[in-house]
Amino acid sequence: MTDVTDTNLHFHQELESLEHDVLSMVDRAEQMVEMAVEAVCIGDVALAAQVIKLDDDIDRIHLDVHGHWTKLMARFQPLGSDLRKMTVLLQLNQTFERMGDQCVNIAKVTRLNEGLPRVERMVEQIREMGDLVRPMIRTASEAYVRHDLEEARLLPDMDSPVDRLNANMYKEIVAVGSNPQMLEWASKILMVARALERIGDQAVDFAEQTAYLITGARTEFIKPGLNRSADDSPI
Amino acid sequence: MSAHAEALSATELVRQSIEGRRLSPVDTLVAFTLLFTLLSSVVILITLLADTIAAAMPVFQSRGLSFVTDSLSPSAEEAGIWQGIMGSLALIGFVIVVAFPLGVAAAVYLEEYASDNRVTRFIGANIRNLAGVPSIVYGILGLFLFVEIFMGGVFGAEGGIGGRNVIAGGLTLAVLVLPIMIITTAEALRAVPRGLRDASLAVGATRWETIRHHILPVAFPAILTGSVLTIARAFGESAALLLAGAQLSLYFSVANDASFVDLVSNQPYTALPIIIYNFARQPQAGFVSLTAAAIVVLLVMLLTVNAAAVLARDRFERRYR
Amino acid sequence: MNHEQGDGLTTDIDTTSLESATETALAEEAIRVAKAAETVPRADQPLIFDVGKLTVYYGTFRAVKDVDMDIRQNQITALIGPSGCGKSTVLRCFNRMNDLIETARVEGKVEYHGVDLYGERVDPVEVRRRIGMVFQKPNPFPKSIYENIVYGPKIAGWKGNYDDLVEETLTKAALWDEVKDKLKESGMALSGGQQQRLCIARAIATSPDVVLMDEPCSSLDPIATLKIEELMLELKKDYTIVIVTHNMQQAARISDQTAFFSVRVDEQGQRTGYLVEYSQTDEIFTSPGQKLTEDYITGRFG
Repeated sequence: MTDVTDTNLHFHQELESLEHDVLSMVDRAEQMVEMAVEAVCIGDVALAAQVIKLDDDIDRIHLDVHGHWTKLMARFQPLGSDLRKMTVLLQLNQTFERMGDQCVNIAKVTRLNEGLPRVERMVEQIREMGDLVRPMIRTASEAYVRHDLEEARLLPDMDSPVDRLNANMYKEIVAVGSNPQMLEWASKILMVARALERIGDQAVDFAEQTAYLITGARTEFIKPGLNRSADDSPI
Repeated sequence: MSAHAEALSATELVRQSIEGRRLSPVDTLVAFTLLFTLLSSVVILITLLADTIAAAMPVFQSRGLSFVTDSLSPSAEEAGIWQGIMGSLALIGFVIVVAFPLGVAAAVYLEEYASDNRVTRFIGANIRNLAGVPSIVYGILGLFLFVEIFMGGVFGAEGGIGGRNVIAGGLTLAVLVLPIMIITTAEALRAVPRGLRDASLAVGATRWETIRHHILPVAFPAILTGSVLTIARAFGESAALLLAGAQLSLYFSVANDASFVDLVSNQPYTALPIIIYNFARQPQAGFVSLTAAAIVVLLVMLLTVNAAAVLARDRFERRYR
Repeated sequence: MNHEQGDGLTTDIDTTSLESATETALAEEAIRVAKAAETVPRADQPLIFDVGKLTVYYGTFRAVKDVDMDIRQNQITALIGPSGCGKSTVLRCFNRMNDLIETARVEGKVEYHGVDLYGERVDPVEVRRRIGMVFQKPNPFPKSIYENIVYGPKIAGWKGNYDDLVEETLTKAALWDEVKDKLKESGMALSGGQQQRLCIARAIATSPDVVLMDEPCSSLDPIATLKIEELMLELKKDYTIVIVTHNMQQAARISDQTAFFSVRVDEQGQRTGYLVEYSQTDEIFTSPGQKLTEDYITGRFG
């Protein structure tokens, strides 16, 4: 391979910087998921407040990235893989911001549930969901950074158990009984499950964007076995 | 405080480096020298002209236009330059009729049709060389070729002047100026922008249509200029004509009732430059001013031709701009 | 819809079995290769030019080698690539303008509506009436606007109403309103953009079905350029257009198909152009099949 000089160096440097900013959002998001799940499971309101603070960071970066992206588009009119990366980064900017918002939702539930008695079964299941979702984010990040299509393709399978757990939360409510305070706590926890399920979907989206970036073809990752539309039933 | 002082000195530095620059003395000296050279040439020219005109004035004052219409004669009071004018005009006519079409055609072929290979480049180089050949050589050519033909009785030209007719002289001149014509026309054609050829051909014109409708019209002003140069050259030619048979003698007479064919094939002729040469070597004092007068007439004729060409070129250019 | 984005992700590739990652990877590779080799981007339009193994020599210098491409009707095909890769050479093969260069030699097949353009009985003058050309530097004849337009038809022996012809072609070239009152004025008195539109009108005056354009906008200012690009998009309804351009964005904006050329240097140091990739413009500029193409359009070239 002959030596290839980059005559578009300034743009590529700026693109790298943009990418770095976007990825910093998902790092924070991963952190926030861990903290938010912990907070809501043990009822730590102070921890929940930290989560909300972290989201401010994400929101700020989200705004900066948007402006930076627009300027790059106007100045450089990129093509080919550069264009695909720009498209993907704009999408991811949105996705990661939403991840942050979902974590904030979980943190808010912590505040709302303050003082209420917890249902241990449901706490366990929330923890389990958290333990499933965090590696999803990690895997999707690795796949992106390493340009690894195989790894990106793992995401839909990783999402199935999360969706299942979310669907089963309904049944747990029935088992709570008639204690009104517990019921209140439990119904708020349903929102947490929903939020985590959404975060899982966003991680899958992350992987789909990665696949697009690598192959140039848009595919929707089809999860084997599961009927997706049923999962989306509103709670 | 110190920053302000620094800024000041920076300004001062700049000011010192850019202000107060005088023109380099070499520049001025060169400009002056060139101007001097130009003025000297102009002054010399004007002096010559003034001198000539001054010397010629007595002739025009005493004889007026009859100088132009009188025939040659050994007598200074009676000698006129009519045959010379007629002869020169006839010769120029030949040059125009023969050299122009041939020259333009040859140049068009060389520039537009001929492929660029060693043969054509060789021919081109030789044409350039021919333009520099001394005119006396063309005179010899004219003598041994054209005069011989007519001596051989082609137009029934036995006896009398033995072939030294105005046709032979005209052909000699035509051959002499042909290389110049070819070269200047070729230059004119080369100066036509390539885009014009492309445009014409791309619209479905043949090569000849392109040349006729686009290239020649655009090149025409430059070709015209070349023609003027050619005419001026032919007008001033004497050495070749002397060899090729123009009459040097002052005892010159043309039969009054000669037919046109007879006139051009059997009658003697002469040209204005030759008359000037002849006047100049006459011992009688009266011929000095006659020489000057003849020169003036020659110059006037040249200027007229030039002016006509410039007018024609202007009008042509305006139409196509 | 599971995703909140709702950005309408569509499936272009019918990769049904995602369990087998290897299978899909292979399938995608196959599609990418097929796309790169595609020479019939839209099979539904009639074939105007069929080019096979086109190779052009100038004397002993091989300017371009083994070009295979199809050009279809009513589309704009752009030829892009770095300098010296043979794009203009290929373009000039389509209307036999390479004939004007003495040392030029064309090998291979160039068929126009199924007829071999370089056949022995083919008259290049007739070819150029049917395949018009617009050049990089606007080159109107130093005649009036009217005469510029009617020259081609006149020498072709066209018998019709010249006034109507002039109005029709100038209208098609988006120039009529600007010059309708000064048809007798010199074509050279127009601005650069107007001159180029005049040249386009002149080219279509002989009723060709193809218009070739060799970097038509490179000597024009941005607004004149945009006007001509708009014009080309209109013209393609009636004509087939092939354009050589240095400007990638221009090719991306207006063309339906793009052919990317590059240069190969052989052991003797001779540079020969060749066709790297030829496919739909959208594809080439978002996800090209060849790495060379990708490098070129992202500015990474050595």
